[in-house]
Amino acid sequence: MPKNQNIDPQTVRKPGYIEFNRIPVNQYRKTIEDEKATFTPDDFIRIYHDMVVIREFETMLNLIKTTNEYSGITYNHPGPAHLSIGQEASAVGMAYNLDVDDYIFGSHRSHGEILAKGLSAIHRLDDNTLYDIMKNYFGGAALKVVEHGFSGSIKELAKRFLLYGALAEIFARANGFNKGLGGSMHAFFTPFGIYPNNAIVGGSADISTGAALYKKINRKPGIIVCNIGDASMGCGPVWEAICFASMDQYKTLWPEEYRGGLPIIFNFMNNLYGMGGQTMGETMGYGSLARVGAGINPEQMHAERIDGYNPLAVIDAFARKKQILLNSNGPALLDTLTYRISGHSPSDASSYRSKEEIEAWQREDSVISYGNELVAAAVASQSKLDDITHSIKDLLGLILGLAIDDTVSPRLNLATDPDCIGKMMFSNESIDRMDDRKPETLMPMDDNPRVKSLKNKERFWKDSEGKPVSKARQFQLRDGIFEAVIDRFYKDPALAAWGEENRDWGGAFAVYRGLTEALPYQRLFNSPISEGAIAGTAIGYGMCGGRVIAEIMYCDFLGRSGDEVFNQLPKWQAMSGNIIKMPVTLRVSVGSKYGAQHSQDWTALTAHIPGLKVVFPATPYDAKGLMNSALQGSDPVIFFESQRIYDIGEMFHEGGVPEGYYEIPIGEPDIKRHGSHITILTAGSALYTAMKASDILHDNYGLSAEIIDARSLVPFNYEPVIESVKKTGKIVLVSDASSRGSFLKEMSQVITELAFDWLDAPPVVVGSRNWITPAFEMEEYFFPQPSWIIDAIHEKIMPLEGYSVNAESFYSKTIRLNKEGI
Amino acid sequence: MAVPIIMPRQGQSVESCIITKWFRNKGDSVAKGDILLSYETDKAAFDIESPCDGTILEVCFSEGDEVPVLANIAVIGAAGEDFSPPAASGKTDKPVFDKTGNTAETVKKQEAQVVQVNDIGERKIRISPRAKRIAVDKGINFSLIAGSGPNGRIVAADMEKAIATPIVSAEKTQETHEYSDQPLSNVRKLIAKSMHASLQNSAQLTHHMSADVRKLLDTRSKIKKSVTTQDITLNDMICWCVIRALEEFPEANSHFLNDKIRTFNKVHLGIAVDTPRGLMVPVVKNASGMDIAELSKELKHIAESCRRGNIDPELIKSEAASFTVSNLGNYGVEMFTPVINLPQVAILGVCSVVNRPAVIDSNILAFIPCMGLSLTYDHRAIDGGPATLFLKEIKKQIEEFKF
Repeated sequence: MPKNQNIDPQTVRKPGYIEFNRIPVNQYRKTIEDEKATFTPDDFIRIYHDMVVIREFETMLNLIKTTNEYSGITYNHPGPAHLSIGQEASAVGMAYNLDVDDYIFGSHRSHGEILAKGLSAIHRLDDNTLYDIMKNYFGGAALKVVEHGFSGSIKELAKRFLLYGALAEIFARANGFNKGLGGSMHAFFTPFGIYPNNAIVGGSADISTGAALYKKINRKPGIIVCNIGDASMGCGPVWEAICFASMDQYKTLWPEEYRGGLPIIFNFMNNLYGMGGQTMGETMGYGSLARVGAGINPEQMHAERIDGYNPLAVIDAFARKKQILLNSNGPALLDTLTYRISGHSPSDASSYRSKEEIEAWQREDSVISYGNELVAAAVASQSKLDDITHSIKDLLGLILGLAIDDTVSPRLNLATDPDCIGKMMFSNESIDRMDDRKPETLMPMDDNPRVKSLKNKERFWKDSEGKPVSKARQFQLRDGIFEAVIDRFYKDPALAAWGEENRDWGGAFAVYRGLTEALPYQRLFNSPISEGAIAGTAIGYGMCGGRVIAEIMYCDFLGRSGDEVFNQLPKWQAMSGNIIKMPVTLRVSVGSKYGAQHSQDWTALTAHIPGLKVVFPATPYDAKGLMNSALQGSDPVIFFESQRIYDIGEMFHEGGVPEGYYEIPIGEPDIKRHGSHITILTAGSALYTAMKASDILHDNYGLSAEIIDARSLVPFNYEPVIESVKKTGKIVLVSDASSRGSFLKEMSQVITELAFDWLDAPPVVVGSRNWITPAFEMEEYFFPQPSWIIDAIHEKIMPLEGYSVNAESFYSKTIRLNKEGI
Repeated sequence: MAVPIIMPRQGQSVESCIITKWFRNKGDSVAKGDILLSYETDKAAFDIESPCDGTILEVCFSEGDEVPVLANIAVIGAAGEDFSPPAASGKTDKPVFDKTGNTAETVKKQEAQVVQVNDIGERKIRISPRAKRIAVDKGINFSLIAGSGPNGRIVAADMEKAIATPIVSAEKTQETHEYSDQPLSNVRKLIAKSMHASLQNSAQLTHHMSADVRKLLDTRSKIKKSVTTQDITLNDMICWCVIRALEEFPEANSHFLNDKIRTFNKVHLGIAVDTPRGLMVPVVKNASGMDIAELSKELKHIAESCRRGNIDPELIKSEAASFTVSNLGNYGVEMFTPVINLPQVAILGVCSVVNRPAVIDSNILAFIPCMGLSLTYDHRAIDGGPATLFLKEIKKQIEEFKF
């Protein structure tokens, strides 16, 4: 909500009409003859060659899937193969004019795009660079295989390298581009500008947008091409990505040198079917996909439909759109009309389309018709084209032989190194800054009004005379987060932050208050209400080499970013074979007071997914130290914050919250109060509930509780907890999450395994009820209260003298509630 | 690393054992395999060997104490080693291995408190893993403790209370100047019970006869002079004869089982062995098929096992033997009435060899060595006639000894 842009009612209430421009449909009309001025004969032939490479590669996989044989070589590939036979012209045309710095992202059906972009990059790179890339990739493991006995040119060698790396990846071999951990639907090779393909339909849309943000914010050369399918237009995150990519602010509010639209082409490879659903005619209503562009922004996203069966039409379109992007007028939308002759997968019986339709498209087969045109225009003889096809077949036979040879192309050896995949889940690096240039800021940090104000705050909850400090004078938890964040903004030029109301407002909970004054727009900006894209763009930004803090305003909105947080953010480090890092901190605020859709602690959902680090600090000292660690690291961190305690002061760390930089290692719990009779392990703001319960235990029953604040959920060092349990024999675990499936249930199970012989009672979890969260006035019946902890101890751990619980016995209550599902 | 010595469980029904002797004391260094102590169940006696080299760091029970099975009875480790169990980590004081009561009296005293009914209607002992670990470490029978936790769960605090107020151990020997009382050992109790039952529950009578053992002695001296190193005793030879006789009179190789008589196809020969703990009757299973050397070896082996206390409890059950030989010849006994080990139907008492006048070679009166044989049989199973014929058959086997 920038104050410099007033919305004038007189203007917006005026009557009028929205005018649309015509959207071009297949307007490319040139012949080979016309294009001879643009392309040399070699260019024409290279286009043909690249199409045939894709056609043969996909045909080979199709034969292997359906007949277990290609060129006399037998092999069984049990994994996926979503083939793009028919779409070759679209892929080659897309990649033809892209530089190595231009990144493509893909879908589950992107073998063709990988090969096309790879061949394009090989064509553009000089021999020395090419050789260095191959030599340095995983220590040259794949290069050694294809170089053995080969004496041709570096570019020919690179072609072998490309085909081998892709095929080995598809066959899950360790020499694959991603050590065999990505596979057919996720293969990529960043040195050639090939970024992840994505097995989730439309999954690349917001990630690509984040990559475009990376290019723009860090002024890196290159554009982004997001290759997704026509059916993904039905996916919410794709719309979110398009909205995110076309925000006005890029052209209105961002500083002069950053002003302009995002450099991204949303290229819909429109093969007319989403698996079996016919998008044009059945499952969508846009008539032509390109129409959608008209609804997005006044530029109509420069949308047009192009003939994806004609490589020259696609090349032409990409050249024009790329120029628009370079002129800062992105984003662009292309509806690249093509057809998938092969099935969705080899098991596809084509029950949703007629034989006549397939045959009609086969008659216009792009490879054959483009070849015929070349012959007709005397660019090449048929025999020359046939030679190309034969040599590609021979080469693929050779590459296939290498890729399936277990001695040459083994898989990762999980028998001898059972943790080898586990070791790739996190990169665990400590990196001050992701780029070397000077961070762009608007003022020296010390001049920042909030930084100045914090200098006058009490950094411990009691003053020197032992009196509790007023809220106004208190250095609070939100201040701890702020200090870590602003410190990193002045250290790391590649750090950017976005989310809803992050700028001007300073975040809904004032964590970022003061950052607006400190940072230019491109480093801190407001996003659309698009949680999926907020997370997804952060992933793309981090994946390309940036560092980012994205914010989900309420934990309850995490569901809106489900795919991004569960399927994308945690996966790409390992699925890349550790080629990419993911320095993404996702701040998630856990609410209260606002009822059922604004008060949920969903830490368990994120902690369940392998590949995410999950922290939930409860004190200003821990919040600052953990945020520093998150921002120093190279891994995705879900950083939970509790709205209950944004204003709490530091009650535990002697001397209060240090002013300087310090890190608290992610994964280390902290003993907040020492005791000997019972251990209470807390997550999040339940720390303070447990402190109150501990006082009751002490005052009324003479028991001393040891309170351990988990601080992190993943990773987690159980040793301090186990040590405590060895001492006390008893443990209660408390958090505000609904008790069923709470992460504390996982912790109690692990504790039981590790400390069984020391336990004097079962670990007991005290969580919220398994209801909707009621209104604030009724919250005491929903969220754990100190008395609930005492009840649980009395009923399940150690009867307290003189204490009684006026309720149903826990056994029958537990059975009943579970039977009822509440 | 200190190694605890645990009272083994010698059979499923055994709940406690009595320590009969400590061969080594606290502070002694021991080698692996050294016998540390002997103990007995109600059926048999055993030794415990040291499982490792080391020093006896702690001895938790004394001779005569009744110890629950699986309780810790001693600790062996490096001299001076702190063998605090993990529970006591953080504490520096050495844990005290209390002797806690598990005597018959305490069982009775506490039985009333043991079983609590929980709120789901189950009757079982509930004990926390921590409390259980303490019980094992400290040798406490937790089934005797009332739990104070939820649903009567025995928790660590209950164990600590039990340790702090140890229940007095078995009543110690009380001595006055007029007499001394010794509690019965378990073996003694068993013997008392079974012998009394035998005489009460069967119809026993004894026939006496004597056998000329000149040939037997002659053969034995020949065996002794022969190259064999094995010492074949007179008893071995008599047992051999008894087995031969039993093969002729299978009705004596039987058990009387009230409504039936079970006759065995093979001879399982019981042999009474006097041990420091009392009478034990181990058995040589399947003795019929053995030659005299084998039989001699087996008899020696089981007798030694009894004296050492490591006999397999299965081999000392009265049901294990089909017939028993009790030899008191070495003690000068000329005639006695051995008591049958029910459900066997007979027992042969072997007495001293005495020179008796006898007419040999028609008119010559001479003294010849004769061995007294006392056969007690159960008239419920065997009548006097067959019993006499059986005894005569033994006499004949001895007098015409051949092997």
